[in-house]
Amino acid sequence: MNDQWTVVVGVKQVPDEDDVSLDPDTGTLDRADAEAILNRPDRNALEAALRIKDEVGARVVAVTMGPPMATPVLEAAVAMGCDDAVLVTDRAFAGSDTWPTSLVLAATADYLDADVVVCGEETTDSSTGQVPPGIAAHNGWAQLTYVEELDPLPEDEQIAARRDVEGGHERVVADLPVVVAVAYGENEPRTAGLHRKIHAENEFEPVELTADDLGVDEDAVGLAASPTQVGGMETVEPVERERERVETPSELVGALADEGVM
Amino acid sequence: MPVDVDEYEDVWVFVEEHDGDVAPVSWELLAEARDLAAELGEDLVALVIGEDVDDVAREALRRGADRVLVADDPVFEPYRADPYGEQFRHLVEERRPDVVLIGGTHTGRDFAGRVAVPAHAGLTADCTELGIDEDGHLEARRPAFGGNVLATIKCENHRPQMATVRSGVFEAAEPDPDRDGEIERVDVIVDEADTLTSVLDRSVGETADITDADRIVAAGGGTEGDLDPVLDLADALDAELAASRKAVDEGWVGHDRQVGQTGKTVRPDLYVAVGVSGAVQHVEGMNDSDVVVAINDDPNAPIFDHADYGIVGDLFEVCPELVDLLEDADDPTEVPA
Repeated sequence: MNDQWTVVVGVKQVPDEDDVSLDPDTGTLDRADAEAILNRPDRNALEAALRIKDEVGARVVAVTMGPPMATPVLEAAVAMGCDDAVLVTDRAFAGSDTWPTSLVLAATADYLDADVVVCGEETTDSSTGQVPPGIAAHNGWAQLTYVEELDPLPEDEQIAARRDVEGGHERVVADLPVVVAVAYGENEPRTAGLHRKIHAENEFEPVELTADDLGVDEDAVGLAASPTQVGGMETVEPVERERERVETPSELVGALADEGVM
Repeated sequence: MPVDVDEYEDVWVFVEEHDGDVAPVSWELLAEARDLAAELGEDLVALVIGEDVDDVAREALRRGADRVLVADDPVFEPYRADPYGEQFRHLVEERRPDVVLIGGTHTGRDFAGRVAVPAHAGLTADCTELGIDEDGHLEARRPAFGGNVLATIKCENHRPQMATVRSGVFEAAEPDPDRDGEIERVDVIVDEADTLTSVLDRSVGETADITDADRIVAAGGGTEGDLDPVLDLADALDAELAASRKAVDEGWVGHDRQVGQTGKTVRPDLYVAVGVSGAVQHVEGMNDSDVVVAINDDPNAPIFDHADYGIVGDLFEVCPELVDLLEDADDPTEVPA
């Protein structure tokens, strides 16, 4: 019962959505220069995980599934205070939708003997929010999504949480192991200390795990094992707006009266 | 792992209720699913999970369901992901629906994966359009890249075809009091002793439903937390208050009033964005508005590209002036010019 908790934090490298913009005249997408960054909601996940460590002591391990070039997000996690980081990487994972992705991350959490898995609410590139519940479902673990606050209860092998529910809040207690998705923007992520930054950039090497290491069947992952396929992408035609500048509030009221909305 | 898709039939809609109150998106989905079921030549089945939910089940029939499955037990109140997911998964495996639609609420997004994962079903998040292709597969469309692109997601070799659907994108049908159908109480397979979570307390106030509003005034980061000018303007316009993600993240406005990619889709006659910068994620949620007005002191704010009328100015000056004008206009002693 006194064993120290292992907290696994899932992080992802995504294109910076602030660099992805829409040309209102042509409706075309401009993301050529989008920089690869740590998914912003994952910063809240890292902060939540590190607070568990501050409160009850824990080993915090950041995990990302992706190609070796995703290593900078692990460095960022280690610089923030994670004890270790794991790159889960295998060509067999390519093209995975949320089903195999959550399978691989569930196997990783199991491999690392996780007590708590903390994720961001969703990723800014695909915004499904499906991976945290997917990890919990694959392992048959408890889950807490839209979490605003966490209270570890190590004596009871449980964690309590305040969750955002439509129109209010609830307090829930979950048995370990548990998967937590932290609501975006819900805490103030700490900044990395200079020492940790230097360590992360110079001395740190992530542990690499493959499908084989995790005991994941290669046929259960990747594009072929993904139940969903992207059947097409179309640019959304921008809604034509008048884009008329008015100088005064009374001019505006007049224009709205002409539109028949007053 | 692919399945024989012909063994699966019927379109299911999950009716989300909390303490007897039904989430409006459930009725929106039931109306949309009525058309999908007709196109597929399949039945429309509503699934109601909760405690003492007979009234909800009857309402689902009046709202268009051919049949209703009811799992009624105290274990389901209040909502928890593990009992809901377990019961729903059991029903899906036992009865093999073709399509399963769930509201893209916190609740729906919380448990949908607990059904899709063990069933190895395809699950598409936060759809805004649904259709059937020539082979009878569900085409679930969802915005990607902050709403600049509409991606079509299909699931050809797995069943059921599951989707969570955003609130406010479909129109709910009026209930027909004469409509009737079969209500079937199903076996509850969840035992309280096996649950992984317990709810200590739940406090829910009146949830605002901005998706039905005819007029909306939205507050953004430019308000810096002082919502008085926005609230006064909303009052003068008889409009609902809404907010950008920034204003919600800062805690100035509740999440139930958030417009945009991670909030709600609205379609009012008039949308006034006050101090809203106009990030694509926000614009996506208000693009169906009839007339859009932007008030912002930054002449380069992207919101002006997505507005019919824009005033470059300090919202703390513009809003009170607008309120005065509107109140004068409402004053019956004032003779209109």
